[in-house]
Amino acid sequence: MSVKQASVHAKWIIGRVIGTNMVKTAKVRVTRLVLDPFLLKYYNKRKTYFAHDALQQCTLGDVVLLKALPEPRSKHVKHELVEMVYKVGRVVDPLTGMKVEGTQFLEPFADLADDLDKKMTLSDKNQELDSAAASSTASSPDSTSQTP
Amino acid sequence: MPMKGRFPIRRTLEYLQKGDLIFKNQVKIMTVNYNTSGELSEGARKFVFFNIPQIQYKNPWVQVVMFKNMTPSPFLKFYLNDGEQVLVDVEGKDHQRIMQHVKKILGKSEEVLHIEALAKMQESNPANFGPKKYCLKECICEVEGQVPCPGTTPLPKELTGKYRTQMAASQE
Repeated sequence: MSVKQASVHAKWIIGRVIGTNMVKTAKVRVTRLVLDPFLLKYYNKRKTYFAHDALQQCTLGDVVLLKALPEPRSKHVKHELVEMVYKVGRVVDPLTGMKVEGTQFLEPFADLADDLDKKMTLSDKNQELDSAAASSTASSPDSTSQTP
Repeated sequence: MPMKGRFPIRRTLEYLQKGDLIFKNQVKIMTVNYNTSGELSEGARKFVFFNIPQIQYKNPWVQVVMFKNMTPSPFLKFYLNDGEQVLVDVEGKDHQRIMQHVKKILGKSEEVLHIEALAKMQESNPANFGPKKYCLKECICEVEGQVPCPGTTPLPKELTGKYRTQMAASQE
């Protein structure tokens, strides 16, 4: 056997990071669907794995892809971090490539922003802002003078 | 007394065994991202509700993970053994169409399944006797209608090797 066999059965797994207190190690919880023998329904069964991430780039709540190491790094660490699938708080939609939060897009659409720029240049925008500021300052002294 | 639940047929062995999507050996992880509300995710929700149990039953070594309400558009993502990833957009599609599409791109074809079934049948040839790991029976005495094992019941005198050699020697 020229190709080194991985020491563990699970070669590729996806899980969520639940702990980063260890140096260069992430505690990852992996859920698999297991059939209940009586109800014949699938439920999530959890298992924790320890993964080595050299750059310590994991935070709590990230979804990560792990790969089995050819041989165990230590008694518990048998996997390493390959890719951060979804970074918590900075999820990127793979279909459009835009930042996303839940079911909302965070960035405005590119074509909409282009239309706005073509209609109004920056100088026009500044003039609008100045006029808005002037009107607000003009109204506020009136309101303050009225209140004793 | 009827079964409990919304579509309890999903929880029958017959329904689970009816699943015809068997992934190729390279597929290791299947990830489904979908939303709990919205018409675009309706197909994905039905896919998770009806088809995921069948897929997991037929592919017990593939990790299936569900993510809800993470992105506005639903999609499937498959992670293969050599690091390759396959992204399938599922927005607005019907669950049967999704199933057909996934079967076409990542499922084992009918011929491959047929060949595998034949190979399995060859392994379990009833004409071979040997260790339980490789053959069905270890000795012909286990088969009904054959001479029973001399360990349990003694053979009739005429069939013993001792008697036969005696007869052969006396005839010469």
